[in-house]
Amino acid sequence: MFLAPEGDEAEIADAAAAFLSDALPIERLHAPDCADMDASLRALLGEMGWFALALPEARGGSGLTAVEHALFFREVGRQCGPIDILAQALAANLCSSAERREALVAGAKGVAMLVADGDCWRLLGSHEAELGLLVTPEDASLYSLADAACEDRAALDPANSLRVVSALPDPLESREGEQLWQLGQLGAAAMLVGIGEAALDLIVDYAKVRETFGRPIGAYQAVRHACADMAIRTEAARAQLWYASTALKESRGDASAHIDAAKHLANEAAMGSADANIQLHGGIGVTDEHDAHLLLKHALLLTRIFGSKRGLLSRLLHARLED
Amino acid sequence: MDLRYSDEDIAFRARAREWLKDNVPQERRPASGKAASQFDRDWQGKLFENGWAGVAWPKEYGGLGLSGLQQVIWYEELSRAHAPAQHISTAYVAQMHAGPTVMARGTEEQRAFHLPRILSGKSLWCQGFSEPNAGSDLAALKTKGTVDGDTIIVNGAKMWTTDAAHADFMELLIRTDPDSQRHKGLTWLICDMTTPGIDIKPIRTMLQDDHVNMVFFDDVRIPLANVVGEVGGGWSTALATLSFERGLGFIADQLELFERVGRAIELAGTVRLDDGRLAIEHDDIAQRLASIKADTMAIRAMTLAEITETDRTGEPGPKGSMMKLMVTTTHKALSQLVGEFLGWGFMEFDGDRATNPWTHDYLWSWVFSIAGGTNEIQREITADRVLELPKAR
Repeated sequence: MFLAPEGDEAEIADAAAAFLSDALPIERLHAPDCADMDASLRALLGEMGWFALALPEARGGSGLTAVEHALFFREVGRQCGPIDILAQALAANLCSSAERREALVAGAKGVAMLVADGDCWRLLGSHEAELGLLVTPEDASLYSLADAACEDRAALDPANSLRVVSALPDPLESREGEQLWQLGQLGAAAMLVGIGEAALDLIVDYAKVRETFGRPIGAYQAVRHACADMAIRTEAARAQLWYASTALKESRGDASAHIDAAKHLANEAAMGSADANIQLHGGIGVTDEHDAHLLLKHALLLTRIFGSKRGLLSRLLHARLED
Repeated sequence: MDLRYSDEDIAFRARAREWLKDNVPQERRPASGKAASQFDRDWQGKLFENGWAGVAWPKEYGGLGLSGLQQVIWYEELSRAHAPAQHISTAYVAQMHAGPTVMARGTEEQRAFHLPRILSGKSLWCQGFSEPNAGSDLAALKTKGTVDGDTIIVNGAKMWTTDAAHADFMELLIRTDPDSQRHKGLTWLICDMTTPGIDIKPIRTMLQDDHVNMVFFDDVRIPLANVVGEVGGGWSTALATLSFERGLGFIADQLELFERVGRAIELAGTVRLDDGRLAIEHDDIAQRLASIKADTMAIRAMTLAEITETDRTGEPGPKGSMMKLMVTTTHKALSQLVGEFLGWGFMEFDGDRATNPWTHDYLWSWVFSIAGGTNEIQREITADRVLELPKAR
C-alpha cells in the first residue's frame, strides 16, 4: 500500500511537466484564434509516445497503467491542454486495426471528442481531426468525420473548438465495456486536478507579492483561509485520484465507484479553485490577459464530460466498496 | 502506487474482525461520570489483555509493534464492529497523544512507568494546555511554575480540560521562566492528578454534560523528574503533542466517518418525510449523502496516503491540519443533513449518546471543529506551513 507517485511514476510525471510546459504552455491560449491541437503538435506528442502510455506493449504502446495515464493528464490539465489529447489516447486504445492504431499512436491522424447532446452530438477538438470518438459507460465508437455534418459554434473555452454534429455515419469500429469510459474519467479527473493545482499556485504566488494597505494580501486571513480551503479540496481530489487510478490498475471490484468519486471530487475542486482564484485576484482576475479565466473555462468543459454531478452521485450513493 | 495489503495485513484484519465479533461490549456505555470512565478502563484493559492495545506502539512498551497501516486496519474494524466510540472515550487523550508524546520525548523511566499503564487502561490522562486567556493563542499561557529544589511549584488555572475528574495524569504546560515571552520559557510536565492543591470545577456544555472542566492549581508540587523534554523547552514538546493530536488523533474518527455515512444512507431509506416519501427518494438528500460519501472516500484515501508515507519516513508530514479540517467539516455536513431528515426524533435528547447518537454527534460537531485547535487555527497553520504564505500574526 502506497499512495504517492514514486520512482518511475514520478519521473514520468516530471518529464510530462517539462515537455508540456514547453510544447503547449497555457500562454498559447492568449493568441487570437482557438488554440486546438494542430498537426505538428500532434506529431510531436506522438513522437514522444504520450498517446500510448496505457496501451499494452503488444499493441505498440508503452505498457504502462492507469496510474501513469492519470499522472500525464494532470500535467496536461495544468496547461489547459486540448481534449484532443485525451480523445487520441483513448482512440488508440480502442483500435483493433493495427494500421489505424499506429497512425493514432504516432499522431499522424487526429481524433476529436464526440459528446451526445439530445438528438445531436457536440464535437470538441481540432478541425484537422479526421476521426471522432464517442465514449459512454457502456461502449466506445470511432467515427470518420469526413462526411459528418458539422456546424461551427463559438466556443467559451478557447482550448477547444466547439461544433455541433447532426448526423454521423456508421462507426469505423466499436467496443463494448466500460474500460475506455473509465480511462476517460480518470483522464478528465486528472486534468481537473491539474487545473485546481494551477489555480492554487497562481493565487498563492500572487498573494505573496501583491500588497494592499501596506501588507501582502497573503497576510490577511480573508485570503489565507480561502487559499487553505482550496488546498484542502485539491488535496482531497488528488488523493482520491491516486486511489482510483491505482484501483483500476489493480482491477479491483470497486474501481468504478472510486473513479466516480474521483471525477466528482475533481469537478468540485477544480471549479472551486478556479472561482476563488479569480475572486482573490481582484480586478486583474477578470481580465482577458490573465490565465485565471482560462482555467475556469477549461474546467467548465471538463466537468461536463465523463460524468457530471448528478450522474456520478446517483451511481455513488449505493456503490459498495472493498477494504 | 499500490493498494495491495500484505498477507500479514490481511491475516491481521481477519483476526481482528473475528475477535471483535465476539468481544465488543453488548452493554451500553454509561453516558457520564465514574461509571463511564470505568467502562472505558475496562474496555481498554480487555483490549490489552487480549493483545489488541497499541497496535503501532513498540513491543518494548507493551504495544504490538505493527505498522501504521495495520493501525488503520484495526480502527476500521473497530468502527465496523460498532465498538465503543473513540472520540468520547475517557481513554482518548492517553492513547492518542499523551502516550505518543511520552514515547517520543520522555525519559526511559517515564516511558517504562507510563506507557504500559496507558495501554492497559490503568492510567487515564487529560490535557492541561488551554487557559482562560490562552486557547487559540496557546503561547499566551500564564500558569506559573517555580523550580524549588527537585520540585516545580505550580500556580494558575487551566481551561477546557476534558475528563479532568476521571484522569490519573495530566499533560501540563506551564511557564517556568516568569520573564519569558510567548514560546520561550515553557515546560511540559506530567502532573499526577492526586497531588494536593488541585481543584476541578466542571463546565456544563451544550451537550448536557460536564466532560470539560476548569482546573485550578494552588502551590501544587510536581517532581522535576516529571518534566518531559527540557525545563524551558516545553513548546517543542507541546508541538509534538499537538501534531499527534491533529494527525494521529483523528484517524479513528476519519475511518468511523466512512462507516457512519453508510449508516446514514441506510437510515434515509427508512425515514418517511411529511410528503410520505422516503428521505432517500428526495434527490437533494440523496445527492448530499452521496457527496458526503465521496468526501469520506477521499478522507480515507488521504489517511492511507499519509500513514503509508509515515510508515516509510518515520515522520508525520505537515498535512495533519488539512486532515482535521476535512474531517470536521465533513462530520458537520453529515450531522446537519441527518438532522434535517430525521424528523422529531432528532429533537429528543437526554444527553446520552447511546439513546440518540445522531443528535449527540450533531452537537459534538462543534466540539470537533473547536477542540485541538479551531478550524480557523487549522486554516492558519495550513496557510503558514503548507502554502508558506506571509505571516498574519
